[in-house]
Amino acid sequence: MAESALGDVRVLDLAGEIGQYCTKLLADLGADVIKIEPPGGDPVRNLPPFYRDEAGPQRSLYWLNLNTSKRSVTLDLEKPEGRDLFRKLVTSADVVVESFEPGYLGGLGLGYADLAKIRPDVILTSITGFGQTGPHAHYKAPDIVGVATGGVMWLAGERADPPNVPPLRQGYASASIVAAAGTLMALYHRDAHGEGQHVDVSMQEALSIAQETAMQTWDMLQQLRTRTGSGGALPITIPGIGVYECKDGYVFGYVGTPGGAPWSELLQWMIEENAAEDLTQEPYHDICVNLNMRFLTGLMQDPSTIGEKIKNLGHINEVLKRFFATKGRWDLYENGQRRRLLIGIVSTPEDLAKNPQLQYRQWLTAVEHDDIGMTLQYPGPPYRFSETPWAIYRRPPGVGEHNAEVYCEELGVGRDELQRLSAAGVI
Amino acid sequence: MADGRMPLEGVRVLDFSWFGAGPICAEHLATFGATVVRVESESHIDALRTVAPFAKGKTGYNVSGYFNNYNAGKLGLTLNMNTEKGRDLALKLAAWADVFLTNITPRVIERWGLTYDRLSQVNPGIIAAYQPMQGYDGPHRDFLGFGAVLTPITGYSHLSGFPNRPPFGLGTNYPDYVINPGHTLIAILAALRVRRKTGRGQRIECAQLESSVCPLGTAIFDYTANGRVQTRSGNGLPYASPHNAFRCRRLEGDPNDPAFERWIAIACFDDGEWRALVEAMGNPAWATDQKFATLEGRKANEAELEERINEWTSDKDAYALMRDLQARGVPAGVVQSAREMLDYDEHLKARGYYVYLDHPEAGRTAYDGPPFVMSKTPGKLRWPAPLLGEHTHQVCKEILGLSDEEIADLMVEQVLY
Repeated sequence: MAESALGDVRVLDLAGEIGQYCTKLLADLGADVIKIEPPGGDPVRNLPPFYRDEAGPQRSLYWLNLNTSKRSVTLDLEKPEGRDLFRKLVTSADVVVESFEPGYLGGLGLGYADLAKIRPDVILTSITGFGQTGPHAHYKAPDIVGVATGGVMWLAGERADPPNVPPLRQGYASASIVAAAGTLMALYHRDAHGEGQHVDVSMQEALSIAQETAMQTWDMLQQLRTRTGSGGALPITIPGIGVYECKDGYVFGYVGTPGGAPWSELLQWMIEENAAEDLTQEPYHDICVNLNMRFLTGLMQDPSTIGEKIKNLGHINEVLKRFFATKGRWDLYENGQRRRLLIGIVSTPEDLAKNPQLQYRQWLTAVEHDDIGMTLQYPGPPYRFSETPWAIYRRPPGVGEHNAEVYCEELGVGRDELQRLSAAGVI
Repeated sequence: MADGRMPLEGVRVLDFSWFGAGPICAEHLATFGATVVRVESESHIDALRTVAPFAKGKTGYNVSGYFNNYNAGKLGLTLNMNTEKGRDLALKLAAWADVFLTNITPRVIERWGLTYDRLSQVNPGIIAAYQPMQGYDGPHRDFLGFGAVLTPITGYSHLSGFPNRPPFGLGTNYPDYVINPGHTLIAILAALRVRRKTGRGQRIECAQLESSVCPLGTAIFDYTANGRVQTRSGNGLPYASPHNAFRCRRLEGDPNDPAFERWIAIACFDDGEWRALVEAMGNPAWATDQKFATLEGRKANEAELEERINEWTSDKDAYALMRDLQARGVPAGVVQSAREMLDYDEHLKARGYYVYLDHPEAGRTAYDGPPFVMSKTPGKLRWPAPLLGEHTHQVCKEILGLSDEEIADLMVEQVLY
């Protein structure tokens, strides 16, 4: 295999849930990420879903996916001997990633200033809900608190429902992505100048830019974007724009917007399938062939004719709904796209696993699990490099699987000493 | 301490991107010191320049807050790629650049001659980052789309919201803002490090389909390993209860307008957090019922539990409640709108997250600040987004070495356009 991008970088990973995607990103680029778990194992190992729905430290699919390519040692930072071992590890580390409450590591004598005394060019990346400073720095911040205070939840959901929590902990994912970028930025600087530093990541701040235009709309116009649910971004129904139910699921249309084929192409398809009904007749035909952004802008600007037009648009939309309802989601997606119509499938996880494009590109990545005697198909790469490949370099580790390898072979701790530390509950 | 050095000083970026996913990535590079030339054209206008919000009472290509927020600190050049001279100048810029970035569709990139093969001929060390929608190969290579369509295609819509609702998504073109620009930024920074060590550039492909599905990995893994098709399940989490948003006292205003709503997110992950919440509620009789004493019991009776909590929160001030609950160790956060984030959030203010820049046409407006804080080399939005073609003359002169006369000719010929 070709050389990896981060093969020369060692990362000590103290991160909880919020930061494990960050260290996975670094590990899958080849960094030697040593996961440091408390003696009982990382609590995230206990979170569902589990392989075949049986709990176990090597069976949480959530945890497994976040911990590819890493090694694992156990270490109790609350014990003085544990801290001594950690300091020894730091001498060989380029980066430490952590997500404790701000000040926790400092209280143990392991804050940034302490680590820099051991290894002057070390990079400490801290990932928390609200960052290291400010009045909310010590707030408890699971994912839901991040997406709430970070502005993205406010925009999601039907008006009749509470604002929606984005799926699968997007606050953690965003914080981790930003943290991986910050870590690499600090590494790039260190490589040139020999200077380490502390990188401070706030989940709330990481998410802010995902409010789309809401922040600027308030700042510039004092107008507030709110959640509009299935109503979408537009105040009236526009045929071809929005979510449509089809025979076996849903598709999303954005027909008539720039970039894709015009509405007349969709009408042509309906005609070919004998589904156009009266849309070939006036006044509908004329609207269909002119249904583009300019038409819509004009519609909004001429209130005198808007009532009649909205009625006609509503009728066109009903005919379109009937057409979509006769067809399957893959048919509408693939054949619609071949006509250059902006139609997207509303993919389920099964659709993604079977998506022809992802399959062609061999996105799913097989990982052999000698520990449970299975080969599992893991989610694959976010990016591809021509020279320094992304890869799952090793399967996720067992609890403390690399204690002997790291402590004895690499740090020179004696085997007897390792046994004594183990018996004392340090590792 | 900080003395104004920036980590990417001297790094040259040719930003051939548009919309959100590309420009945001390049803006972050500029924020940490890179020289970024953003290439645009009036013949191929970045649609974001034409999308609201526009500065109050202003029109034109330069006053969109949507566009401006993603393009601070860049040099703006207009270049017409439908001319041969335009394409030649693009290659000259590629020869200058360390990093090339584009999210324009593969067909157009190939037509313009901006493939990695071509760029690496004029600049063997270049890092060329491509963000196609689906990839440069495969059966769906030429499928169309942008954030609005990507959100459903990549699974976010199916997995978001309550199960009795259609899959309308998250109210935004979600993957455009952190997921895709963030992954691409990671890839570029990793490649820059490699290049500094080995002198070798490379081609990066961050297909937005692949990048976007990564943060939904668990759901796909649950299917490949267990055959389970996860679906949207509302605001719950299997290992926390309560875990939802609850109504608080409204702000004064139209009672039918959701803009005046206030909500608070509250979550209890263990019995200690739950007991602290019960105490905050004043130990009401219902809450001390044994059926709510354990996580399992709370999960089994979650609808009733959350309805009761909602009754309790509905007349409370959201911020006072957040402060009180957090002081008691209960995870809680106001569901903030942009208004709350800009005007009410004392924490963001104290950290100085939002940055206000004076733009010659749009005036003084807020920008999202650096995405992370570096203790010794902090990022900085050095100037507001460029006007369309604002730096065309400067880039042609200082980077391409053209004379005033040549520049004037190219403008007349609508090459610099």
